[in-house]
Amino acid sequence: MIRGAWVWTVARKEILSTVRDRRALISNLLIPLLVLPVVMLGLPLLMGGLFEREQASITAVALEAREALPEPLREAIQTQNAELEAVDDALLAVRDDRAPVGLIVPDGYAEDLAAGATPTLRILTKAGNLQSELATGKVRSAIEAYRQGLVAERLADAGLEPAVLTPVVTEMRDASRPEEQSSGQLAWIIPFFVAIWALAGGQMTAIDATAGEKERGTLEALLVAPVRRAEVVAGKFLATLATAVSASTMAIFGIVLGGVLMQSIFLPRLDESASEMVNVMGGTPNLSFGGFWLLLISAVLLAAAISALLIAIATFARSFKEAQSYIAPLSFVLIVPAIGLQFADLLDFGSGIYLVPVVNVMLLIDDVLGGSVAFGDVLATWGSMALLVVALLAFALQSFKRESVIFRT
Amino acid sequence: MIEVRNLTKRFGSTVAVDRVGFDVPAGTVFGLLGPNGAGKTTTLRILATLIAADEGEATVAGHDVVREAEAVRRTIGVVNGGMGLYDRLTGRETLRWFGELYGMERAAIDARIDTLSSLLDLTETLDRRCGDFSTGMKQKIVIARAVIHDPPVLFFDEASSGLDVLARRALLDFARTYPTAQRSVIWSTHVMSEAEELCDRVGIVVGGRLIGEGTVTDLRERADEARDLEEAFFRLVRKAGLAAEVAA
Repeated sequence: MIRGAWVWTVARKEILSTVRDRRALISNLLIPLLVLPVVMLGLPLLMGGLFEREQASITAVALEAREALPEPLREAIQTQNAELEAVDDALLAVRDDRAPVGLIVPDGYAEDLAAGATPTLRILTKAGNLQSELATGKVRSAIEAYRQGLVAERLADAGLEPAVLTPVVTEMRDASRPEEQSSGQLAWIIPFFVAIWALAGGQMTAIDATAGEKERGTLEALLVAPVRRAEVVAGKFLATLATAVSASTMAIFGIVLGGVLMQSIFLPRLDESASEMVNVMGGTPNLSFGGFWLLLISAVLLAAAISALLIAIATFARSFKEAQSYIAPLSFVLIVPAIGLQFADLLDFGSGIYLVPVVNVMLLIDDVLGGSVAFGDVLATWGSMALLVVALLAFALQSFKRESVIFRT
Repeated sequence: MIEVRNLTKRFGSTVAVDRVGFDVPAGTVFGLLGPNGAGKTTTLRILATLIAADEGEATVAGHDVVREAEAVRRTIGVVNGGMGLYDRLTGRETLRWFGELYGMERAAIDARIDTLSSLLDLTETLDRRCGDFSTGMKQKIVIARAVIHDPPVLFFDEASSGLDVLARRALLDFARTYPTAQRSVIWSTHVMSEAEELCDRVGIVVGGRLIGEGTVTDLRERADEARDLEEAFFRLVRKAGLAAEVAA
C-alpha cells in the first residue's frame, strides 16, 4: 500500500534540491529551450544564407583555354554572376583554392563545334566542398543555357521545332502531406532531442536521489524513518520524472519556438531559393493542437521509462561518479533508434515496431511531426511504454529492498 | 525497552552477528563495545529494521523488528558518524522534512524545532543551508533530525568519530541525559573511554559474538579485577580465545 502524502513528501524534497541546483536548472531547462531553436534555425539558416550569398556574389571561374571562349558561353557564365579568370592550369587553381571552380576548353573547340562535332568542356570542382559545389552549379547552369541555345540554332537550321526533342513531358509533384513537407529532412533529430533531454534532465535528480544519498550518508536516515520503500522509490521516481519531463517539455517548446521564429521572422526575409533550402533542411514544423498533446504524452511516457531506468541503475552505484559511468551508455540506446529514423522510409517492420519501447515513441513523434498518426500505433506505443515503466519501477523497488544494494558503499 | 535474543546475521560465508542477545531497560545507556568489523553496526541495523536477521528475534519498544518494522521505526532515532545532510536544504527544512516523514503536524514540528534549538543551540544552523555547515554544526542537525519525533529509543553508532573535542563532548552530554523512565540509548563504539564514561551497561562484541555483558564494574571483576574497561576488554577477549580477531 502506497501512501500518496509520503510519496509527495519524498518527491518534494528531491524537486526542491534539484531546483536549488543552478547547474541543473541551466542544463535541464534553459539549454533545451535555447539549443533546439538554434539547431533548427541555425543550421538551415546558415545553409540558406550561404546559398543566398553564393548566388548573389561574383564567383571566380578559373578558365584554361588557348583560344577565345564562344561569346554566347561567356555571356551565359556572366549571367550566372560568375567571372572568368584566365589561368595556365585550372586544375591547380581549384586545388589550391584560388578559384572554387574551373573550366577547361579543349584546343580547336570552336572549329570542332562548327564542324558538328561534340567537343568536351571539362568542369573542375572539389567534391564535398559546399562552396565549390555551389560555384559548379553556376557553371553547369551557364553551360546548359549555352547548350540549349546551340541545340535551338541547329534545330532551326534543320527546319525543326525545339519540341521535337521532348516528345514526352513529365511533371513532378510532391504528394506528401503539408506537415511532412514542412517537417524537413532534419525532423528525425527532434525525437532524438526529446529523448536525450529526458535523459539529461532526469539523471541529475535520479543520481542525487539514489547514489547521491549513499555518498552523502543520508540514505540510512531516510530509511529508518517510517516511510515505506515503495513510497521512497515512487517519490524519487516522481521527482526524476518531473525534471525529465520539464527538460523534454522545454525541448518541445524549443521545437515549436524554432518553427514559429522560422515562419514569422526568417523565411519572409530569405529569397526563394534560400527558403527552399531552409525548408528541405530544417523545415518549419507546424504542430496542431492535437499533435502537440500526442507529442507531449509520448514524451512523458518516454521520460517516465527513462526515469524509472535511471532510478533502477543509479541505485546500484556507490557514488555520483559511479552512477554517471553506469548511465553514460544509455545515450547510445537512444542514439541508435534516432539515427535509424533517418532510414525509416526504407525499412518496413509493420505495425509491430510500435510495440518496441523507445523506438516506438521516436517513430510516433516522427509520425506526429509528419502528420500521419494511426490510432492503433498510438495505443501500441503508449501501452508498451506504460508496461515498461511498471516493470522498471518494480525492478527499482526490488533493488531498493536488497541489503547488498542499499548498503553497497 | 529493547530485547535481543540469539540474533544471527550472515553475509555469504561470514557470520557478522553470532547468536547475540541482550536487554536494554528503560532509563539506561547500553554500550556496544568492540573493534571495527565486530558486528556492532550490523546489530544496530537489524534493530533499526534496515536489514533482516537470519535467525533470532528482537523487539524495540515492544515491537517486533520484523513483523512490526514500521512501528519500530516510529520509536527509534539513529545517529551515526557517517550520516550526512542534504546540502541544498536549510537546517529547518531538513528537520521539517523529517518531521513530516514521521507523520507530525507542522505546528508540532515547529514547536519541537524550538525545543531542540534551545537544547542543542541550533540558532546558527536553522536558516542556513547544510552545505555551508562546519562538522560540529552538521552533527547538531543530525542529532536534532534523529530526535525530531522524540523517540523513546536512540541508537548512536560510532557517532563521535570525526568530531572535535567540543562537539564530541556535547554529543556525549546529550546521550547521557537522553534516557528517562521511558527512554533508552544504545551507544555503539570502539572507544573504551566513551563506554566507560557513558554507559550503564556494556556488551563487548568481538567477531560477531557477545563475549561479555554487564556494568563496567561487573566486567572489570569478571576480568580478574582489571584496572579499567580497556584492560577488562582485552582480558575477556583473550579468555574467549578471540585475540586474533582483535589483532586483525
